[in-house]
Amino acid sequence: GLILLFYLVFYGFLAALFTFTMWVMLQTLSSDIPKYRDRISSPGLMISPKPDTALEFYFNKSDSDSYSEYVETLKTFLASYNESKQSQNIDCTPGKIFDQDDAAVKKACRFNLSDLGQCSGKDDTNFGYSKGTPCVLVKMNRIIGLKPEGEPHIQCTPKEEGTVEINYFPRHGMIDLMYFPYYGKSLHAHYLQPLVAVQLAINSTKEEIAIECKILGSPNLKNEDDRDKFLGRIAFKVQMTE
Amino acid sequence: KGNKKKKKTEELKKELDLDDHRLSTSELEKKYGTSINKGLSSARAAEILARDGPNSLTPPKATPEIVKFLKQMVGGFSILLWIGAVFSWISFGIQLAQGAESPFDNLYLGVVLALVVILTGIFAYYQEAKSTNIMASFSKMIPQQALVIRDAEKKELPADQLVVGDIVEIKGGDRIPADIRLISAQGCKVDNSSLTGESEPQSRSCDFTHENPLETKNIAFYSTTCVEGTATGIVINTGDRTIIGRIASLASGVGNEKTPIAIEIEHFVYMVAGVAISIGVLFFIISVSMRYKILDSIIFLIGIIVANVPEGLLATVTVSLSLTAKRMAKKNCLVKNLEAVETLGSTSIICSDKTGTLTQNRMTVAHLWFDNQIYSADTSEDQTTQPFDQSSPSWAALSKIVTLCNRAEFRPGQENLPIMKRVVVGDASETALLKFSEVILGDVMNIRAQNKKVAEIPFNSTNKFQLSIHETDDPNDKRFLLVMKGAPERILERCSTIMINGKEEPLDSEKAEAFQTAYMELGGMGERVLGFCHLYLPENEFPDTYQFDTDTMNFPTSNLCFVGLLSMIDPPRSTVPDAVSKCRSAGIKVIMVTGDHPITAKAIAKSVGIISATSETVEDIAKRLNIPVEQVNRREATAAVVNGMELKDMNSEQLDEILCNHSEIVFARTSPQQKLIIVEGCQRQGAVVAVTGDGVNDSPALKKADIGIAMGIAGSDAAKNAADMVLLDDNFASIVTGVEEGRLIFDNLKKTIAYTLTKNIAELCPFLIYIIASIPMPIGTITILFIDLGTDIIPSVALAYEKAESDIMNRRPRNKRRDRLVNHQLAVYSYLQIGIMQSVGAFVTYFTVYAEQGFLPSTLLGVRVNWESNAINDFEDSYGQQWTKYQRTYLQWTGYTAFFVSITIQQVADLIIRKTRRNSIFRQGLFKNKVIWVGIFSQIGIALILTYGLGHVTALNFTPLRFQYWFVAVPFAILIWVYDEFRKLLIRRYPGSWWDKNMYY
Repeated sequence: GLILLFYLVFYGFLAALFTFTMWVMLQTLSSDIPKYRDRISSPGLMISPKPDTALEFYFNKSDSDSYSEYVETLKTFLASYNESKQSQNIDCTPGKIFDQDDAAVKKACRFNLSDLGQCSGKDDTNFGYSKGTPCVLVKMNRIIGLKPEGEPHIQCTPKEEGTVEINYFPRHGMIDLMYFPYYGKSLHAHYLQPLVAVQLAINSTKEEIAIECKILGSPNLKNEDDRDKFLGRIAFKVQMTE
Repeated sequence: KGNKKKKKTEELKKELDLDDHRLSTSELEKKYGTSINKGLSSARAAEILARDGPNSLTPPKATPEIVKFLKQMVGGFSILLWIGAVFSWISFGIQLAQGAESPFDNLYLGVVLALVVILTGIFAYYQEAKSTNIMASFSKMIPQQALVIRDAEKKELPADQLVVGDIVEIKGGDRIPADIRLISAQGCKVDNSSLTGESEPQSRSCDFTHENPLETKNIAFYSTTCVEGTATGIVINTGDRTIIGRIASLASGVGNEKTPIAIEIEHFVYMVAGVAISIGVLFFIISVSMRYKILDSIIFLIGIIVANVPEGLLATVTVSLSLTAKRMAKKNCLVKNLEAVETLGSTSIICSDKTGTLTQNRMTVAHLWFDNQIYSADTSEDQTTQPFDQSSPSWAALSKIVTLCNRAEFRPGQENLPIMKRVVVGDASETALLKFSEVILGDVMNIRAQNKKVAEIPFNSTNKFQLSIHETDDPNDKRFLLVMKGAPERILERCSTIMINGKEEPLDSEKAEAFQTAYMELGGMGERVLGFCHLYLPENEFPDTYQFDTDTMNFPTSNLCFVGLLSMIDPPRSTVPDAVSKCRSAGIKVIMVTGDHPITAKAIAKSVGIISATSETVEDIAKRLNIPVEQVNRREATAAVVNGMELKDMNSEQLDEILCNHSEIVFARTSPQQKLIIVEGCQRQGAVVAVTGDGVNDSPALKKADIGIAMGIAGSDAAKNAADMVLLDDNFASIVTGVEEGRLIFDNLKKTIAYTLTKNIAELCPFLIYIIASIPMPIGTITILFIDLGTDIIPSVALAYEKAESDIMNRRPRNKRRDRLVNHQLAVYSYLQIGIMQSVGAFVTYFTVYAEQGFLPSTLLGVRVNWESNAINDFEDSYGQQWTKYQRTYLQWTGYTAFFVSITIQQVADLIIRKTRRNSIFRQGLFKNKVIWVGIFSQIGIALILTYGLGHVTALNFTPLRFQYWFVAVPFAILIWVYDEFRKLLIRRYPGSWWDKNMYY
């Protein structure tokens, strides 16, 4: 009995102590930006849609069921980029870092879906999957305060040449600097990260096509890390049947 | 079969049953089918050899080295770690087959676990291999060649070819090749020390002198040495059937009992393994029912096992024990079997030899009687003067007799040595007298030269006296001086006067009465008494040209003048009484076991305090109350002197009764075989028994004892081999220092284990919380191994250097059944209190690291699956940033490092609190044990090297850590210290309270 009571008090005290120290620790943190960002100095790349399994797309262009999941994912993903959702966003000056460190309210730059051309889902609601020209969106991970230098753009290359022709939207796969820097979830609530759509015109239906996309043209965005295969690059595979 | 073996051992324990010593030569010839002159025929010898086997000792079946090695590989925690390793490999195989991205982590983990087992196994094997084989010395004793009569010819044969019935000849310097019944002997003396431990050579003849074959003079034993003379004898026993062979097989037949510390460690291993397995299985079930994949559940299981097993602890215990062993070796206790270090500490009964161990092993003059008065002499080891009153002229006369009537001489060239250390040629009592007079009178040899000896009759057993006639050193006194010493009653018979204060007075009945009283008193003290008398021969009858003839005795040998008595004893070592009283206050019973006469044994026992001044034996009570011994209430007697003859007729119940009812026991006149019976009797009482011994025949008792202590100087090789410990100075007092060290190491091992177990909880909790709350993994398996086998090793060894908290020699020996090394208080306090506090501190650091990088604690709950998914490379943190898998993994390693650092920092506090179990740290002294600080610095140093030096080696999962994270756990470390001080304060304040019972380990 006494033992139980003792441990009740003892653990009660420890729990209180734990809660208190955690509370003290959280008080020292800002709710806007994390204290340290040294573990993510350079952003990773990711694609959408993202297949459940490893990054491998398998679909039959004549069978809508086989790619409906990808199309749905793209639609959902792009919903937040709709004009209606961007009413508060402003048009920023292209090609320039949009520095608003001093502003109390951080504005978000508008990203026009029409920039994604045939991959915007406006003209082709199937994002090219039914035509054998599937769209894949490439995006760069959000990192607070990151200011890319140079002219960052996405470039994708198939492992074997000639198996696929690649179109980029916006042109050259450019990522506009006006979307940077990012100020974090709480300050920058309506922020939309820039997207690059990659349309793959697949020539061969026989084999799996391996494609690697990289971010190029910016000295402070790494893309060759030995250990991190997703830092500034991403590799995926596509196999289309008819 | 076991029964049969037991029966065989029982048989061996019985006194030797042999009747060859009773038989006449012709009966022997008939019995063995041999002829004294011709020996056996070669053909017959070959037949017997084929029947009996060679004359050599069968070595015991040695466990093959590889089996010993493999035993180490599966002992202790090894099985658990092997299971962990196998599971790692299995999951590696499965992952490899599934084509997962990083299956090699599990392969490496398995390899590391296997390496840990193999390395600790090799370490343990190496420690064990150091302890030596008991048979080694027995086989060394086998003689090489023997001179045998066969086919009526003398032949040199290898001794192992000897058979029963062979006639062998031996001469001085030979080893006796088998057990031999002598049929002729010329001045033959044998050294039986390898058998009995008595170093005095014993004469051998062909006479049947004693019923006991061990004491009769016509049998010489295998492996003893013939010192001088020659002899011929019939071989009556060969090989394993010889006395020494029986003892050897008895020693190997006597089971090697598990040492108390081995039992304690086993108990502890079972406990920890039990905890590990039950938590492991419990969480395996939980994780399976939480729909984790089986493979993941298995990996959790490995983590839980690794976290729970203190991998480095068994090696630490070994190192601590060997450190103590080294310390004891400096104090003259050489420990052969490491675990014996602690056994000595839990000893509750010491069965000690008398001669050499309790005593100085040399005769020394203890008392004098002259002028109707008894004087005491100094018997200490380093006497330089004698304090008794030497003014009486009687003393002058007595001292002259003592000096002159003595054939012993110092070996030349020892003038610079202290008198007591000089080597003397002569028997034990003459040596005592020579040294005694040298101490008092100075240069004895010069005095003898001035008093030239003209005639002498040496001591013999029929006369029982020794006599010599001298010229006097007074140039004016031309008389001869006749001096005589011998058995007091024989000397007195030859006297008609007695010297009182330098004057000769007639020896009337009153004076004879006084002599008798003194003689009885000295004899009653167990001392060997000699009487001394002299006579100045009248000058007219014996002019200086007189020719003395010792054969015809042409001089008076009666009507002499009695001068005094001297009594001698082998006195106790001066350190022994103190050591015995220390044993007494430490609750250790000291039992004397000796071959000596009961009176001498009792006297020594009384003088060293084995029998205390106030206690009485049954016989004493009977004498005091003047009633027959049978009427005395045996319960009233605290002391007992048991004669070997009585012991022989006792059954084990009677022996138990004696051991139970008397606190002070002396066994006198015991045969070496009876020592084993006494040891077993003590063990039946549940006691941990230490036994001292030196002869070959002591080896079964030494082996049977919980700790056998062999004498380093007097001990035979066999005794040293059978023993667990060798006493380099043969001094009983050294045993007591050994006991103290043994008790200290037991306490300190408790501290070491408590220290080591604590952090296991801090290593285990991460796994449990990881499984239940699905947070990112707080600590890696490899990291845990770095704590267990890296930072924690030196500190836990450092605790072995801790000084005792209180006088450990004032408490009773620990109870084998009750006072466990790891009791539940220790486990509960370490696991459920300090361990949990450590975990809390480490988790605070962990959450701090994650929060400051962007993952607030609320974000971390339940993220495990996505966090660990290789496909998710845009994992969002609390601030909207996105992380790739590798970035998360790197953060996770930072978390490992932070968790590791926190445990290390808190282990510093844990180390400091473990210095004491009851006293305040400040009373113990924070800086007295310097090694603790070496431990602390090593701990922090290793952590710094791992974090900053090896932080870039990915396989180790360490990352360079921001410096401030080292201090997050510091408040918790301080809390641990304060809480433990509080615990100790309450324990000291309220002894026996609920708190004391539950919190004192």
